[in-house]
Amino acid sequence: MKIECTIDGKRILLTVNSNKPLNSILMEDVEQSNFNAKCSDGNCGNCVVLLNDTAVLSCLIPAFRLRNAHVLTFEGYRRTRFWHDIERAYEDAKSHPCPLCHASKTLIFESLLRTIGKTEEKESTDSNLDDEAVVKELGLNRCMCLEANEIIEIFNSAANYRRRRRVRRN
Amino acid sequence: MYEGIRSPAIHVPKSMTDLLSATSRFPNAIYWAGGTYIMSRHDYYPTKDSNDIISLNEIPDLKRINRTDRYLEIGSMVTISQLLQIGKQVLPDPLTQTLQALGTRIIRNQATIGGSLCTGDLRLAISGTLAVLRTEIEIKKLDAPRSDSRWITTGKLYDRSGALTLDKHEMITRVRIGFDREDFSIFLSAGNPMYNPQESVNLALVCSYNQSVITNFRFCFTMPTGGFHQFQDIEVLARGTMLPFSPNHIARLAKMLGEAIDNSHVTVSLLQKERAKRFFEVALHQLNTQSLIER
Repeated sequence: MKIECTIDGKRILLTVNSNKPLNSILMEDVEQSNFNAKCSDGNCGNCVVLLNDTAVLSCLIPAFRLRNAHVLTFEGYRRTRFWHDIERAYEDAKSHPCPLCHASKTLIFESLLRTIGKTEEKESTDSNLDDEAVVKELGLNRCMCLEANEIIEIFNSAANYRRRRRVRRN
Repeated sequence: MYEGIRSPAIHVPKSMTDLLSATSRFPNAIYWAGGTYIMSRHDYYPTKDSNDIISLNEIPDLKRINRTDRYLEIGSMVTISQLLQIGKQVLPDPLTQTLQALGTRIIRNQATIGGSLCTGDLRLAISGTLAVLRTEIEIKKLDAPRSDSRWITTGKLYDRSGALTLDKHEMITRVRIGFDREDFSIFLSAGNPMYNPQESVNLALVCSYNQSVITNFRFCFTMPTGGFHQFQDIEVLARGTMLPFSPNHIARLAKMLGEAIDNSHVTVSLLQKERAKRFFEVALHQLNTQSLIER
């Protein structure tokens, strides 16, 4: 199956099996990709990417859902200005995720920051984020390298940076 | 590694008429909703016998949410996140809690209500909660000469062992949730159905009472690999009881529950049985508390 999509800002034409998971595509079919997460059952949470600006587990996305989609892996995300908010939050909290889950946890943080951005515009049951919810969301990645209090500290700090960025932009 | 692997043909119907036509032309194709369950199976890819896929993602009828004075009607391709966004005022409390417990936001954005009800060998908490809330489900038969549909209660969707009773070309198209609310409702959950299916237990219980006398009492346990349990004998026994339950009464009902689980002929681990009994006791104590506060 031929699929045209954008991966980390580059327009790519892929020839892959229609049901091949996105994590396998990123590892095997995309040149110069450093993506490395082979779990294939959605249980480790190490393969998070942004698909059309929404965080997804790439092992749960089949190739046929990628037609004209925009995929942003951690490599691409690091080139955006949003990455600095989370990186500074890691520095502030003096705790970083381990190299194995760094990419995935960062993208989960990013998806939560986008959620609170939307919450300020529109109230809904699924966008209320308290400390417990933040820890639960990060629990999608099963690596235990960050304590709950560190996760909350990082998230709150990153949210402050993001809020300031939005205020400056407005 | 991928030698001999066939790339399945993908059919993307844009309407229910297209779906009927695709089903008749490709009778062995599988229906694809959110894909979270299918893709989380260890043998999903690579596999040599991949069937063609009918993706339901672009059928507007299946994504519709309709609200009337009496009920909320949800298309089967509505995602769990979209359903939660409807708000607490509209969704019953135990359903909101069940949906939130179904997975993290990333999973909820992808999983659909129809797909969550139709998982092959894994029963998720949503089945039990919808059964307790007496929701109705529209089943469409797609291989009939004319599109043929019927409404059933959620409990009828599964047999006694928790297996899905849908035929090959039958599909859930809508879920109807009534606005009638019970006086007391609770949802309790332990364990993750994906990581530890042999340990996970979910309880949904609703109860109505009038002047401290129970008029309506329904509960359902969902165990991912042990199916779907409604114990009508215990429900009947609880009806007509004066609240609060005495400690002896609670212990007796919990003991009956344990025996009923033993007699249900499904594989339930000791941990699940113990959790089920304790959840039931907790729910009854909570019910006592609420009834005493309201006096």
